Amino acid sequence: MRRGVLARLVAVGLAAAAVTTAVALFVPWLPTPASKQADRIDFVFWFVTGISIAIFALVAAVILYSVVRFRARPDDDSDGAPIHGNTTLEIVWTAVPAVLVTAVAVVSAVALAQNGHVPKKHMRVNVLAQQFAWSFSYPKYQGLTVSQLRMPIGEAVQLKMHSKDVIHSFWVPEFGQKQDLVPGIETNVVITPKRLGTYPIVCTELCGEGHALMRSEAVVMKPAAFAAWVKEQETLAAKAAQGPAGGGPGLAAFNNNGCSACHTYKPAGSTGTTGPDLDNLPADARRAGKPLVAFVHESIVDPNAYIEKGYQPNIMPSTFKSLPKAQLDALVKFLIQGQK
Amino acid sequence: MTSATAVHGELHAGPKPPPHGWRRLLAPGWLRVPWVTALFFGIGLGITVLVRWAEGWHPIWDGQVITTVELTAAPLGFLVGIGGFDYWARYAIGSPTRPEDHSGHGAHSWRDYFRVNTDHKVIGIQYLVTTIFFFVAAGLTAMIMRAELARPGMQYVGNQVFNELFSVHAALMIFLFIIPAFAGLGNYVIPLMIGAPDMAFPRLNALSFWLLPIAGLIMLSSFIVPGFGCGWTGYAPLCSTHQELGAVFFNMGVQWAGASSIMTALNFLVTIITMRAPGMTFWRMPLLVWANFTTSLLVVIATPFIAGSQFMSMFDHILHTDFFNYEAGGYVLGYQHIFWFYSHPAVYIMMLPGFGIASEVISTFARKPIFGYRLMALSLMAILVLGFSVWAHHMFVSGMAPWLRVPMMVTSVVIAVPTGIKVFSWLATLWEGKLNFSTPMLFALGFVSMFVIGGLSGIYLAAVPIDIHVSDTYFVVAHIHYVLFGGSLFTIFAGIYYWFPKMTGRMYDERLGKLHFWLTFIGFNATFFPMHYLGIQGMPRRVSDYAPRFADLNFFISIASFFLGASTLVFLYNMIVSWTRGAPAPANPWRAHTLEWQVSSPPPVFNFDEIPQVVGGPYEYGVPGARHAVFNGDRVVEEEEVKV
Repeated sequence: MRRGVLARLVAVGLAAAAVTTAVALFVPWLPTPASKQADRIDFVFWFVTGISIAIFALVAAVILYSVVRFRARPDDDSDGAPIHGNTTLEIVWTAVPAVLVTAVAVVSAVALAQNGHVPKKHMRVNVLAQQFAWSFSYPKYQGLTVSQLRMPIGEAVQLKMHSKDVIHSFWVPEFGQKQDLVPGIETNVVITPKRLGTYPIVCTELCGEGHALMRSEAVVMKPAAFAAWVKEQETLAAKAAQGPAGGGPGLAAFNNNGCSACHTYKPAGSTGTTGPDLDNLPADARRAGKPLVAFVHESIVDPNAYIEKGYQPNIMPSTFKSLPKAQLDALVKFLIQGQK
Repeated sequence: MTSATAVHGELHAGPKPPPHGWRRLLAPGWLRVPWVTALFFGIGLGITVLVRWAEGWHPIWDGQVITTVELTAAPLGFLVGIGGFDYWARYAIGSPTRPEDHSGHGAHSWRDYFRVNTDHKVIGIQYLVTTIFFFVAAGLTAMIMRAELARPGMQYVGNQVFNELFSVHAALMIFLFIIPAFAGLGNYVIPLMIGAPDMAFPRLNALSFWLLPIAGLIMLSSFIVPGFGCGWTGYAPLCSTHQELGAVFFNMGVQWAGASSIMTALNFLVTIITMRAPGMTFWRMPLLVWANFTTSLLVVIATPFIAGSQFMSMFDHILHTDFFNYEAGGYVLGYQHIFWFYSHPAVYIMMLPGFGIASEVISTFARKPIFGYRLMALSLMAILVLGFSVWAHHMFVSGMAPWLRVPMMVTSVVIAVPTGIKVFSWLATLWEGKLNFSTPMLFALGFVSMFVIGGLSGIYLAAVPIDIHVSDTYFVVAHIHYVLFGGSLFTIFAGIYYWFPKMTGRMYDERLGKLHFWLTFIGFNATFFPMHYLGIQGMPRRVSDYAPRFADLNFFISIASFFLGASTLVFLYNMIVSWTRGAPAPANPWRAHTLEWQVSSPPPVFNFDEIPQVVGGPYEYGVPGARHAVFNGDRVVEEEEVKV
């Protein structure tokens, strides 16, 4: 290859690399990391991006240069140079990519090992997923169960995850970590939050009709605020147990079946927003034109019989019709007694 | 070129006289289809009801069970009616068969494309037209999806319908378009390229084609049932026990399409191994033949695994088995392992033939030998072997054994090496060539550049930590469309334009072809490139609704996708008009060396009036005096002669 050709090829390649680098740097590709694990993922991301820019620039340079330089004139029927191969070149473009991908694999394996590491001092949170809701419970705080994941900043949290029905997947883009929840097995993932804020939790594994709506939030709090929140929740739970709704088996059924994940209901201290607010059941029953008790019972066992305005059918699972009668009755009672 | 228009029917036993009166109902064809299909439907129904009655199972009349049985019985009736088994049935019962009867061979009018035809060239065109029909159908489902996604919230379809749209979109594109479209191109071209008169098993070939419309109609009718809303991956337990009957339509549709694939692949293997012209050694085969050879090996080895996974899923659904029911000791992740053991090799089934087409087109239009021919062939074989060792990279976040992740990552990134060899060799083939930018070449170069982007995003996905972040997001949607649309589809377009003159005997409109390329290229990038960003930022895939912060970009993508969809109209218009009214094509419009271009366009019924003698490599452009093949010794194809 003549020196002039090489120089021009390098120039085109550098131009392509400059454009690609600009696209990589000036578009805010990655979400602002909010966990230590996300930082490591970002590092691997930029490592691979560097290699990719180099390869892309090389390919773009050769294609662009060839398209311009080797274009045949319309009346040119001749053939190109009969080059069949070049052993040195072929060895180079086998060996160099092999080295590059090995580097990618090594960097990835190290980051993976670090991200999987569970520090000695960590808090455990049990995650339960079902169609189409999340619930989080804290064994450290007597099984406090909520529909939003709250965690103190700086402390590693190990999520132990289970699914009640089909496969779901837990993902907070700002945390980087993602893990499927598989019926029948326990999966887990570690997150060490490092930035205060509220981040979306989304389900990323197709789990049925309401998959797109299976969202919640992860809140990273200062340790003091987190402790205050825990206290508040515990008081609420205690109040609920002695409150007008009576707590007891009804509250237990409400929490164990994941109702709190989707529904707001003050006597249970729940704040879910996927489904209608259960504090307004008498008004809903009037709109549906049914007596309150019958309406509540029907809405649990046959959720599509009446759909509150602003909500969609088929999102609430129809599996609750198989609840044992005692549990179902307790649940209905709990929901009726909590109404003002 | 030789005057090659002899009709072989005259040389062999002539066709039987057509039947008259009611006997026409017995002759294979569309008159026999309705009543035989009805008969088989009745038999299936009768057996099901009878067994349930005899066993005392209630309800005796169970629509789910009957429908499932009919997804096998009725299509079988259709195949019997159209005549897919006639010859074998006669042979089996001892009736006289007429091996030299070639009345089922070749096409004299358009009607011959609508019956069981044993000519590989007719079958190739049947394949391509059928697959393009399903391509359009699957494209329309994508258009409806993009309309729904143009704004956050729900506008046009419900959640369940949306889930069904993307499930059917992928199922049709994969099983009824990309895989069979390559099989169709191969069907037409492979026997010609190796100097064979037809495929090794012409009747099996015909049967494999007629399985396809069955598979496609079953998958399309899942909308009516409804309930196939669990994605083309059909993960258990969502698909096996949490869906309506539509999921069974997917399970069975895959069986019919898979059976078709396996039969075609066996046919390709036997044809390529046993029917090469004298002198056509393995190292003289065109790279498309190499590619189809490796693809067929992949199909034969891997496809039974998806068949198994779909049967197990269907049995969980219908027969209440517990393969994937964890409550009864089933293993949920087992489905994914079996499924991906097919479906990862399947991405190479969908890509290797495209590599072959790209090699043919780039070499011909760069007027240069393929750079590093042997390494190109060997890298196909390397991809074949490695392709079976990487399936679990689809499962990095699935909860499988954690130790499996690093080995699967290593094998996955290692596949980049043989793939890289191919890309660099195509680039080197361009170097110092005489590039002609006809439509096939534009699509081939579009393929190389888009496939590089898809390949690089594949490295991101193979690196486990990044995959954990972007798995099941729009980043994956972008990646698969860069490899399947920018990769497979671009090469299918390149192949269709390249062999269009050979298949139809007419030239396509070059200006419309180029317009089609540029509209597709721009529309494709505008649609799919921004999806990388959406995915990294946090938009999951397979959702009908999304966070409001993604609204603007989704609106842009939807507009771009409508533009991309419209570009297909240019293609369809060009194909239809050129096929009926295009200028007559010369035998070898591209001045290519491979054998299919050394016979007339379209080729004679049995391809070669004289058996070619292969004397050299297929891509000896620019080598003085080099020949790929000679005909009958003295009838050497002269370069000057070919240009006419």
